[in-house]
Amino acid sequence: MFSEDTVLLLYEMSDVLIAGLSNGSVYALMALGMTLVYGVTKAFNFAYGDFFNMGGYFAWMLIIGLGLQFGGYVTIFIVVLPMLFGVGYAMEKFLISPLRKRADWENRIMMLTLGLALFLTNLYMVVFGVKLKSLPAILDGILEVGEFVFSYQDIMIFCLSLGGILLFGWTLNNTRTGMAVRAVAQNPAGAKIVGINIGRIFAATFAISTVMVGFGGILLSQKLFINPSSGGAIMVKAWVVTAFGGMGSIRGGLVAAFIIGIMEAFVGWIFGMSYGIIALFILLLGTLIIRPQGLMGKGE
Amino acid sequence: MIRVKKLNAYYGQFHVLNDVSISVEKGQVVVILGPNGHGKSTLLKAICGLAEKTTGKICFNDNNIIETSSEKRVNLGITYVAENRELFPHMTVLENLKLGAYAKRARPHEKQNLEMVFDLFPRLAARIKQVASTMSGGEARMLAIARGLMSNAEFLAIDEPSLGLQPSLRTEVFNTIKTINEQGITILLVEQNIPQISELASKVYVLEEGQITFAGSALEATNDEHLKEIFLGM
Repeated sequence: MFSEDTVLLLYEMSDVLIAGLSNGSVYALMALGMTLVYGVTKAFNFAYGDFFNMGGYFAWMLIIGLGLQFGGYVTIFIVVLPMLFGVGYAMEKFLISPLRKRADWENRIMMLTLGLALFLTNLYMVVFGVKLKSLPAILDGILEVGEFVFSYQDIMIFCLSLGGILLFGWTLNNTRTGMAVRAVAQNPAGAKIVGINIGRIFAATFAISTVMVGFGGILLSQKLFINPSSGGAIMVKAWVVTAFGGMGSIRGGLVAAFIIGIMEAFVGWIFGMSYGIIALFILLLGTLIIRPQGLMGKGE
Repeated sequence: MIRVKKLNAYYGQFHVLNDVSISVEKGQVVVILGPNGHGKSTLLKAICGLAEKTTGKICFNDNNIIETSSEKRVNLGITYVAENRELFPHMTVLENLKLGAYAKRARPHEKQNLEMVFDLFPRLAARIKQVASTMSGGEARMLAIARGLMSNAEFLAIDEPSLGLQPSLRTEVFNTIKTINEQGITILLVEQNIPQISELASKVYVLEEGQITFAGSALEATNDEHLKEIFLGM
């Protein structure tokens, strides 16, 4: 029915699609974490992308630096995710939250996180060097379905980030702390009235978002490289996903993440990888011009 | 139960409360009357730990709690019911109520308090899945009071519960407050203008320009010419 070339093209396209889906799932996780922090604390975290790298570097330290012997990525997740939580919690509690008591705290927090981003980038360079690092694949090998070939790595990345997203959604809707997080996002004054410690929720929210983006870093650094100065670009990517999906819309963010992941993969396949970021900015510009509230945002 | 001594409260540059002293005994309903913007809400918020800056003494069961955080005060049994309700707009009635039982002291009693609240407000029971932002003013007010009750409070500070309600609903709200009080909950109530206070209040304070200008029984209040004219609409 089809010529051989068409069939080959189809296989190749399915490959690109899978890569796009697995990247997209990580973007979704990252965008969700970003929306969470902004929605709850009303402050923008410019160091967000550097926590992505922090996840990557922590994992690298364990697996390569210390020569991890057992457990592989399971051990990494068990060790690194709580570390990320601790770092995020401490940063909110000791660096960001003191600023919240001052007038003009939004700008102060913005400046602080910008400084933090610069600090972390340079810290990574000093500690790990400017050379790019890479992580081994979480699972080697390929899955053959008929003539289609999928790498286990892509499947694992997709499943793990999707699992992370579902766990996050479940926690938000079904646990007391999750309810408290939503309460603070919807009405901080009301949250105080019912006896929620808002400061603790802010810190927990920041910590959870750090875990989410750091987890994304561990996953995606297996396919890309860990680059000490890539934090800014990653933050921008998470932000474009959020803006394209609609600020504050969780569903919009998820849809946007997959669209962007797939778009990036296809643009990379057709024009070359470096065009991905250009496509990203064209999409952002288009969104801002045509539909500034984003795909599913509520508008002004 | 609550003794406020020489309480001062500030909002930014404004000195809102000036050496205010009041006391509420266990089981009482105490009403604070006063014109708008003279510090009534601030007094309630100060007692519940929600005012911006306060000095003086607030004793709850003989412990000074002026430095205690709002969440710890909720855990002691002191709960504020806001005039503007402060509900969680995108959550359902049930979720709002469950969050009302967020404090540790309330968690073990969540189930029985839910039943109690639904007994008190059958209309809420019929709408547990409704989103708070879609409720009418009267229903939202009931939900706010109900959420306050979920905290298993010993002491409720209720801020102008009748504001903006039609007369029939007002009566309903006051009857509910009476019922709540009969169940043993001490109540401090802020109102601007209520002819009904005489049957409700054990004691009446008048707060004008941040100072207490009258303190007495409901009977004394209803006999006071000045109060009659200004606050009681008689």
